[in-house]
Amino acid sequence: MSNYVNPQLAPTTRPPRPVDKKMRLKESGGVAAWMMLAPSLIFLAVCSIYPFAWIFRYVLYNYDGIPAHTRFTGMRNITTMFADAKFWNSVGTTFEYALWKLVFIIPLALIMAVLLNQKLRGSSFFRGVFFMPTVIASSISGMIFTFIFATGNGILNGIFQNLGLISQPIGWLTDTGVVMAAVIIMSVWAGFGNYMLYFVTGMTSISEDVYEASRIDGANGIQTFFRVTLPMLAPVLKVVLMLAITGAFKDYEAIMVLTNGGPGTRTNVMFLYIYNLIFGTGANATRQIGYGALLSLMAAVIVGAVTIIYNLVAKKLDDVV
Amino acid sequence: MKKKVSLLVAIMMAALIVLSAVPAMAEKTVITYWSNDRHDETYMTDMINKFNEAHDDIEINMVIMTDDFENSILLAIDGGTAPDIIGQSVTLKNMVDYNAVVDLAPYIQADEEYQKVTNALNLKFEGLNAIGDAIYWVPSGQRSGVRIEYNKALLEASGFEGIPATLAEYVEMAKKMTADGAGKTYGIGFTSSSPFERQLEMMAQVSGVFYYDYKNGKFDFSGYKPFLEAGRELVAVAYPDQQGVDNMRAMFAEGTFALWGNASQEAGVFTNQFPITAFEWGVAPVPSLDGEIKGALQVNPNKGYLMLDACKNKDAAWEVIKYFQSEEFLVGYMEGGFDLPITSYIDERIDKSKMGRMADYSLLDYESVYPAVPTINLMGDDYRTQLWNAIMGHMEIDAAIEDLNTRYNAAYDEDISLGFIKRLVIEDYDPLHPSAGTVTWLDK
Repeated sequence: MSNYVNPQLAPTTRPPRPVDKKMRLKESGGVAAWMMLAPSLIFLAVCSIYPFAWIFRYVLYNYDGIPAHTRFTGMRNITTMFADAKFWNSVGTTFEYALWKLVFIIPLALIMAVLLNQKLRGSSFFRGVFFMPTVIASSISGMIFTFIFATGNGILNGIFQNLGLISQPIGWLTDTGVVMAAVIIMSVWAGFGNYMLYFVTGMTSISEDVYEASRIDGANGIQTFFRVTLPMLAPVLKVVLMLAITGAFKDYEAIMVLTNGGPGTRTNVMFLYIYNLIFGTGANATRQIGYGALLSLMAAVIVGAVTIIYNLVAKKLDDVV
Repeated sequence: MKKKVSLLVAIMMAALIVLSAVPAMAEKTVITYWSNDRHDETYMTDMINKFNEAHDDIEINMVIMTDDFENSILLAIDGGTAPDIIGQSVTLKNMVDYNAVVDLAPYIQADEEYQKVTNALNLKFEGLNAIGDAIYWVPSGQRSGVRIEYNKALLEASGFEGIPATLAEYVEMAKKMTADGAGKTYGIGFTSSSPFERQLEMMAQVSGVFYYDYKNGKFDFSGYKPFLEAGRELVAVAYPDQQGVDNMRAMFAEGTFALWGNASQEAGVFTNQFPITAFEWGVAPVPSLDGEIKGALQVNPNKGYLMLDACKNKDAAWEVIKYFQSEEFLVGYMEGGFDLPITSYIDERIDKSKMGRMADYSLLDYESVYPAVPTINLMGDDYRTQLWNAIMGHMEIDAAIEDLNTRYNAAYDEDISLGFIKRLVIEDYDPLHPSAGTVTWLDK
C-alpha cells in the first residue's frame, strides 16, 4: 500500500484566505453583468432619467425655449394647473376615449384571435391584414381617416348614402355628438391587430391536450372558450390589458391629425393639449414649456395611478380566481 | 512573391505622386436655405440651379419645410444642424432674443446695388423686419390683403353679379346660394387652417376693428362681436366640413362652393396648382360691416431672408441673399405671379401682362402694413383659435371676448413689468393709415 497522500485531498490546517471582494465579484460574474448592463443603463440615464430631471427643472419656470425669456414663477404654474378647466376637461376626455377604446379593442382583438386560431384556410393572410394598420404611422392613419370621415366627400358617408342608410351626410368630424365615435373607430382599427397577435401567441401555448380533454367531457365551443381558453389566456390578457390601458391614455398623434382636438375641445385628449402647449400655436401665442412640463408630470401621475389601480384589481381577481 | 509586392508598392507610389500633382478640386461652399414656401418651388429651384451652374465657389441647397418652421429652426440651432439662411416666416423677436440671427445692416449699407433694387434702408418695419437700427430681413415683395374669390357661375345662378359691400348682404348671399345649391353646392367654404384670419378678421379690419388698441397701448377684442355673430350665420350655411387649405381650394376649383377668402397667393393656386377651367372666377375686396371703409386692410411684406448666426460662411450667405433679391431674380419672380412688388424700382421693370391673375390682386388704396403688435408670452389659445371656437358655438361670444381681453392684457402687462418688452402706443393712430402714426414705447 502506498504511503502517498494526495495533497489536494489531505486535510489542511492552513487558515482560509481573506475574502477578496474584487475576486469574488469577478468569480461571480458581476463584472460581466455590469458590462452587459452598461449600454442599457446609459441609454436609460440619457433617454429617460435626464429628460425627466430636465422636465422637473422647468416646472417652476415660465420657459418658452428661449433662455432670455426664462423666469422663475414659483408656484404659479401649479395654481394655474388646478384652475385650468381646459386641462381637466382634456383629462376627462382622455378617460372617456380610453374607456370606449378598451371596450371595443380588447374583445375585438380576442374574437379575431380566436377565429384566426382555428387553422382555417387564409388565417395567415388575414392575420397579416389585421396587423398591417399597426405598422402604419399614427399620423398616416389620421390622414387616411380624414378622407374616410369627411362629411361632403367622405368615403363612409358615400357608402352609407349609396346603401340608402342615411339621407343626410353625417358630420363625423364636425358634429360633437359623433366625433368621438370616429376617433374610437380609427384607434381601434389602428391598434387591435397588435393585441390580436398577443392573443394568438398566447393561444398557441395552450396545450392541445386540454382542448381534447374538454371535447371528451362534451364541452361545446362557447364552453371551451370560457372555461378553457380564457382562463388559460389570463396571464396574456393581463399584460395586454395593461398595455392597452397605458397606450390608450397616451394616444394623441392620430387624433391631432384627424381632429386636432376638435370640434371645439371635444376630442382634445390630455397629451394633445400638452403637445400644443409645449410647441405653441397661432399668432402671438408662445410656447409654454414650463407649464407643459408640469402638466406632463401630472399626466404621468394620472397614467401611473390608473396602471397601479389596474394592477391591484388584477391581483385581487387572481386571488378570487 | 517578393517581386509582386515590390511591383504593387511601386504602382501605389506612382499613383500617389500622380494624384498629388493634380491640383486639388476647389470645394464649393454650400449655403443651405430653409424655406416654408411651396408655391414658388419651381421658380426657386430653376433659379438656384442657374446660380449653382454659374458659380464654382458657392452652391445653394434649398430645403422646403412647411410645418412647424420656427420650432424646427430653433431645434436645428440647438442641434448644430442649422441652415445658413431662412425664410422670414418666424417671430423676429424670438429669433433675436435667441441670438439666432445676424444684423444685415452693415452688409446693406456697404452695397449700393442691393439698396437700389430693394430700397432696403427705407423698408424698415419695427418689430417685423427690424429692431432699432438692426435690419434682419428685407422684403422682396408683399402679399396683398385678403380678397374674396368667387365662382361667377354660382353667383349668377342665384341672381348675384358680384360681392356686396356690407357683411349683412354677404351673409344673405351665402345663405341664398346654399339654399339654391340644394345640398350639391354651397354658398361659402371655410378651411380648418386659421379660418378666422382668412375672411372675417379682414372684414373687421376694413371696418376699423383691430385686436390691438394702438392709441391706448392694450389689446381689445370687443369690436369683433358683430363679426362673430355673422360668422355663426355663415358657418351654418357653409360647406359642412372645414378641411385643410388645399382640400378646400380643390373643392372651390371644382365648383363645390361659391365664396372663398384668401390673399394674392391664390392667383398662382387657381392657375397652376388647382387650375380653374370649368367656370370663371372673380376677385373682389372683402365687405365691411356697414359698407364703409374705416380701416386699412393688412398687407404683409414678405419673401425676406434671414442669415443665421450659426452660419459659418456669412459672406457667401450674403452673396446668396443678394442673388435672391437681385433685379434679375425679382423681376422673374413678380412676373411669375408669386408675389406683388414692394418697390417702385421692381414695379417699373416688370411686364404686368405676364403676371396673370396676380394683376387682380393689385393693392387697393386702403391697404397698408400695420405696426407689428408686441410679441407676448400668452397662456392658452391665441385669439384666432378662440374667436373661431366662439363662431363654431363651442364658446359663448361674450365670454370668449372677455377671456381674450383678460389673458392678452395680463400677459402683456407682466412682460412689460419684467422688462421683456415695452408698451407700444401710437397716440395719433389712424386706422386708415396705421403706419403713419408716431410710435412711442413705454416702460409701463
